[in-house]
Amino acid sequence: MTQWFPAEPWPWWMGGLVIGALVPLLYYFLNTALGVSTGFGNFAKLLFPKTKLSWLNSKSFSSIVNHRFYMMIGMLIGAFIAGRVMGLPVATIEMGVFSETLQWPIWGNVLWFLMGGFLLGLGARIAGGCTSGHSIHGLANFHLSSLVATICFLLFGAVTVFAIRVFLMGGV
Amino acid sequence: MRKNLSFLGFGMLFGYALSRVRASDYNYIYHMFTGTDLTLALVMASAIIVGAIGMRILAMNQYKGFRGQIIEVNVKKLTKYTAVGGMIFGVGWGMSGACPGTLLAQIGEGKMMGIVTLLGAVLGTYAYALLKNRYENI
Repeated sequence: MTQWFPAEPWPWWMGGLVIGALVPLLYYFLNTALGVSTGFGNFAKLLFPKTKLSWLNSKSFSSIVNHRFYMMIGMLIGAFIAGRVMGLPVATIEMGVFSETLQWPIWGNVLWFLMGGFLLGLGARIAGGCTSGHSIHGLANFHLSSLVATICFLLFGAVTVFAIRVFLMGGV
Repeated sequence: MRKNLSFLGFGMLFGYALSRVRASDYNYIYHMFTGTDLTLALVMASAIIVGAIGMRILAMNQYKGFRGQIIEVNVKKLTKYTAVGGMIFGVGWGMSGACPGTLLAQIGEGKMMGIVTLLGAVLGTYAYALLKNRYENI
């Protein structure tokens, strides 16, 4: 009887190759810039369908089920397949060293990740993009704004993790 | 519809790659920010290089797309808010161990906290729409 072994993670260069190639491929086939975070506006519209806010009523969000919506659904499916290929648990509330070290009750984790997500969504819109739109797509196109944004992303991400280790995990 | 299915396909490839390279794993983000494991930094750096080479090839082809249509590169403008947004985003990245792309990958894999992060990100996007109503240029 053959036993099924989960696949190993990809080496970094393989990920870089595939993710990087998406930038020109999306332009070549669909004339679209790689990016994810604008699509959260679709979900915001789904959550508040009667909103009067002008930004959520702009042309980009005239239809909720648009190309960005399909792309996000695709990402969920792709990651679902990858998770099964790598033998990850189908449903878990664990978040690596964070939940292991801190052992917070579930509502504590929920509040923390809700807050983190809030800052991600807000920051990405103010900066004009996220890790894919700015750091991959924008830097591959040598945009100055993407360089500024990426430096801020990395610097403040590192400062935040440092603060988590000092103030929450009790030392470095 | 064919266009939407293409987006679905590209999304699947993106989500699959993010997950296979463990970008959706809290520990890998954490260790990138502490400097103890630079796997994801290398993923990002190599992706930028591959993307730049690909864009160079498109430029040599006079930015002609698949059916001969002219490709319009989305130029992201630098504003006085870019850095502020970047800082807010960075704190969110460090807190959640996810970015907009990888939180979707987390959900697909089965990491339930990713759903919470997504809800937060949607509310954050809504908060942006509220701010935009008052400060037009943000």
